[in-house]
Amino acid sequence: MNSLVLLILIIAGGALLSYFGHKINKILGNITVFAVALIIPIYWFTQVDFTETVSFTVSGFHMELGYNMYGKLFSMIVMILSPLALIYAIGYMKDQKKLATFYFSFLFSILGMTGILMSRDFVSLFIFWEIMTWSSYLLVIFLGKDVQKTGIKYMVFSAIGAYAMLMAIVIIYKNTGSMMLSDYFGSFAGFTLQTKLLTGILLLLGFAVKSAVMPLHVWAPGAYSNTPMAYTSVFSGALSKMGIYGLGFVVVNLFAQANLEIVGYVLAWMGAITAVLATFSAVFQHDAKKLLAYSSIAQLGYIVTGIGIGTELSIMAGLYLAVLHAAFKGVLFMVVGAVERQAGTTDMNVVSGLARKMPFTFFTALIAIIALAGIPPLGGFVGKWMLYESLINNSNFLMVIMIFLSSTAAFLYCFKFLFGLFLGQQEPEFDHVKEASPVMIIPMLLLSVFLLVTGAYPGIVFKYVAEGMTNLGFHDVNWQMSVLTNAWGDSVNVQHVYLSVVVVFVAFLIFITWRGYKHSTKISTKDISSSGEMIKPEDNMTYAMDFYKPFQRVLQPILKWKINKYYEDFGKGLEALFDFMRRIYTGNGQTYAVYVIIFLAILLIFSKSIFGY
Amino acid sequence: MQEFLTYSIYGTAFFLMLLGLYAVLMKKNLVKIVIGLTVLDSGLNLLFVAVGYISGGTAPIFSPAVVGKHVIMTDPVPQALVLTAIVIGFGVTAVALALVVRLYRKHNTTNIDEIKNLKW
Amino acid sequence: MVITDPVYFIALPLLTAFLLPLFGKIYKPLIGIIPGLVFAFLAYISFDLYLNLVPGKPIIIQMAGWAPPWGINLVFSEFSGLIVTLITFLAFLVWVYSYNFKKVGFDNSKKYFTLLMLMVAGSIGVVLTGDIFNMFVFLEITAIYSYGLTAFYKGRDSAEAAFKYLLLGSLSSVFILLAILLLYKQVGTLNMADIAVKAQSIDPKMKSIIAILFFVGLGIEAEMFPMNGWVPDAYSQAPGPVAASFAGMLAKSGIYALIRVFYTVLEVKGVFDLLLIMGLLTIIFAEFSAMRQKHLRRMLAYSSIGQMGLIMVAFSFNTKAGIFAGLFLMFNHAIIKTLLFLSSGFLTYSTKQKKIRDLDGFGKIMPFTSLMFGLGAFAIVGLPPFSGFWGKLNMLVATADSNLYFVIALILLVAVVEIVYYFKVIGRLYFRQQHKDVEVHNPTWNAILAMSILAIVIIGVGIYPDLITDYLTKATNELFDKAGYIHSVLPNLSLN
Repeated sequence: MNSLVLLILIIAGGALLSYFGHKINKILGNITVFAVALIIPIYWFTQVDFTETVSFTVSGFHMELGYNMYGKLFSMIVMILSPLALIYAIGYMKDQKKLATFYFSFLFSILGMTGILMSRDFVSLFIFWEIMTWSSYLLVIFLGKDVQKTGIKYMVFSAIGAYAMLMAIVIIYKNTGSMMLSDYFGSFAGFTLQTKLLTGILLLLGFAVKSAVMPLHVWAPGAYSNTPMAYTSVFSGALSKMGIYGLGFVVVNLFAQANLEIVGYVLAWMGAITAVLATFSAVFQHDAKKLLAYSSIAQLGYIVTGIGIGTELSIMAGLYLAVLHAAFKGVLFMVVGAVERQAGTTDMNVVSGLARKMPFTFFTALIAIIALAGIPPLGGFVGKWMLYESLINNSNFLMVIMIFLSSTAAFLYCFKFLFGLFLGQQEPEFDHVKEASPVMIIPMLLLSVFLLVTGAYPGIVFKYVAEGMTNLGFHDVNWQMSVLTNAWGDSVNVQHVYLSVVVVFVAFLIFITWRGYKHSTKISTKDISSSGEMIKPEDNMTYAMDFYKPFQRVLQPILKWKINKYYEDFGKGLEALFDFMRRIYTGNGQTYAVYVIIFLAILLIFSKSIFGY
Repeated sequence: MQEFLTYSIYGTAFFLMLLGLYAVLMKKNLVKIVIGLTVLDSGLNLLFVAVGYISGGTAPIFSPAVVGKHVIMTDPVPQALVLTAIVIGFGVTAVALALVVRLYRKHNTTNIDEIKNLKW
Repeated sequence: MVITDPVYFIALPLLTAFLLPLFGKIYKPLIGIIPGLVFAFLAYISFDLYLNLVPGKPIIIQMAGWAPPWGINLVFSEFSGLIVTLITFLAFLVWVYSYNFKKVGFDNSKKYFTLLMLMVAGSIGVVLTGDIFNMFVFLEITAIYSYGLTAFYKGRDSAEAAFKYLLLGSLSSVFILLAILLLYKQVGTLNMADIAVKAQSIDPKMKSIIAILFFVGLGIEAEMFPMNGWVPDAYSQAPGPVAASFAGMLAKSGIYALIRVFYTVLEVKGVFDLLLIMGLLTIIFAEFSAMRQKHLRRMLAYSSIGQMGLIMVAFSFNTKAGIFAGLFLMFNHAIIKTLLFLSSGFLTYSTKQKKIRDLDGFGKIMPFTSLMFGLGAFAIVGLPPFSGFWGKLNMLVATADSNLYFVIALILLVAVVEIVYYFKVIGRLYFRQQHKDVEVHNPTWNAILAMSILAIVIIGVGIYPDLITDYLTKATNELFDKAGYIHSVLPNLSLN
């Protein structure tokens, strides 16, 4: 049997097995989930034949499944991150109810993503896209919080995106007579400008929604923070990458080759704006989940910018960042999940000083934050370096400034995140907090190890990125395992940077520990001596309280402008309109009869213009 | 004369139909609306018969009186149809009146404007 | 097969329906069993006939031995046969569902099954007949028994709903009859094939008036805007299985009559443009109204109207792709809406006010019914891998084929609204805390069976749509081939 079909069947079967397993009994269910989480990646890495294709004709549409290198790159993200998140979920979701539904939806969303990445035609792409959408919707509203608001918002935006895509698909089918992606790419140059723009932009719209590009991002903060964290790590890490996947081939294969780079350029700008605004929003969140959600949007903004610019280097930077983002956001959402589970809340105004209580969690969080912030030894730095370079090469100086601003501001929220949750004084009410269970820690550690390794050997990722880019038309992309070169002829060996930073850091740690033990005394936030001002016990003196107040005051005018409000007003307006429209069903039978007669009269009067006589 | 008769039948039929329609659309009383429907039906039936009539035709009965002779018969089909239509109209009227009784019991009124629990 | 006569489709239910009270006198449970046997038999012979149908050779029955165009004939072709098969299949399922539907006591079930069988007979008759007046008669039969079924429950506002339906239904019958009268006056025949041949000679002015009358009259039956005021009331007040059969049979026979008249009998220029516009208006008004409904059944009813609008739009393209999509949508609508109404029957049965917000947390206390409702909702909004998706995709492809891009955009925008209101209900069912003191009425085993069969069909067709596409294609060809229809009904006629 074809290995691709088998892969799909395995995931679908896994979903059903986990569903029924959890219906029967929790332990059996967890064992099933664990087994499925192992089998899927093992099967993918060992048995799947990436040259294989399978095609079938359904309802008159020719459909074909088969990997290309570009899809494989993204598949790798899915196949590494999702099983880890599944395993993490076993620990994280232990006390939850309705686990059957949870794992069923979880595995179906993996099925959707896997399918998208191996689709070679629009019909199967769309089918898998929709499967991914509804399964993730079920998870967004899983905890029952804000079902109507967040859930519906997510579904509406997803539906708008998906339907934009569907509209593009049928128009493409009309113009090419085929549903194959390759036929579309091949005949794109021959379309009229109108069709080019119509289909391309509709497709872009569909993908941009999932990658949370401003102004289509409003679903993301709520959805990311409302979902059980075990899934959010996949949601933000892998699922949003499906949008990036699509943007990549649309921008590069279509617009760049049809001399319509302007579209990509606009997209890049939107990405940059997204990055800046989302970063600012992230800085002022006091819920760690929301902070990470906004940070995800911002990071996706970088990636979109990289893809949008459309040069070899920028796409490489974008894809590289996409891979890394999956890893560190995966870890961070798992970290927040662990904190939420152990400490009961993720509000940074409440929690603090968990570093001693949850050392492993803190360690992984630290690694991930360093990678996220783009501080030298770890991978994020390499990606940003490449992004800056590609932007400068293209003389997009304003964009460089924006990205730079955003990544500098990102330090603020990174710092706040670490401090808010882990550093600072430990509150007495969190004395009971213990380290999370090993089932949760191990996936986080594995991902952190990956982040550490990519710091020294970014080439591991570059290898697959370069392979993937061959399908975007960039052959022989130049990359080296640990050496970065730039257009000006400089080169840096990352390993040296890595080593020196690590040495300095370790030395610093030893120094701090040595000094710290001598001089420090442990005090809680409640144990404060005041000068003049009396401190009441109910005052919240947590370290993260009003963390960036002055900064916030400066940025007030920007932050006040919330696009979310416009959408909500629009929605309310529509509802009022609907309410008005349905008044025609007055409830009076006679009125209905009058409608009939009026309709008949209108038809008779205008019969000349309708029927010609 | 013949012509006048034909047209007057047509005229009566249309008048009846319009009258019925007026009752259906304008009268507020449920019973009157039902009556309007019946009048509308009757007008239509009259029209049907009128259409089938061929001036000077005899009844379309296959009898010894007509066998082998050249006679003009009226069209039998509309008459058959009218019979069916009358039966259907009767059935509908019966159902309608039964519903009116039930509505009156429930709402204590036969004013159609006051019977709109179901709306929008 | 011994019995190959489509006349059984009409004769058998008519006969047994009137004999049903007598059977009840002999042995009470017969009241429930006999209709089931009849429906099963009908479903069986319709499948049998349909699967053995020779392409291009419809089964034509002449009633009372008179050959068309003089006698009344029944035409069991690829198109009408498909609809009949669908109707009998659904009728059987509705019987399975309502076999011991709790509220229906003995006295009531006597009335219920009698009315239901007569309604089914009427709907089948509308589809099968080849005579336009006969079609009118069957439409009236269907309508009268539908009034009765709508007014079935005494406690509710059902009489009000039935009266509105009756008012509009009577107007509809007046217009149809008037149209038939004018048509007869012009061509002197009532056989549809014969009219189709002779219709070319009608004065165009007269033809357009006839077309308008048909359009309005059949539009009422087919739930077209602005003449669909009766629909939400009737659907929401009728018993659950009856609402399901309204969606599956009544609406189907209405739209069948509409498209049969305009595709085969009367060829009028411009009527399809009108149908397109009215279809779009129907969709817009219905879906927008559904969005703001507080009652589950009313919401489903409006959504049903919206689906009918979509079907009208699909048929209005007058292309093969359009007809194919329209048939696919009809199939989907019949199957999925039936499932939704059947499951909502038990959902609303357990609530006091039948409001959507009473359904919080029902996923937990009524897991199976909620699952079926959720599945139906997923399918009807067109999410893969359920059958609704293929209908929608084919529909949009057909729209694009006709170069109507704005129609695509409009349909999809409205589909977003549809998603919102269905997912609001799903959100309430599964992800909300349930209210206290809910009186649960779990579905009986036969209801579970009926819903499961529908669910299996939905998923099966969703995963492998080619199960039905062949039949739909054949039906499409039959409907599109007007000359073929005329020729097979009137074989001696030389067309020139």
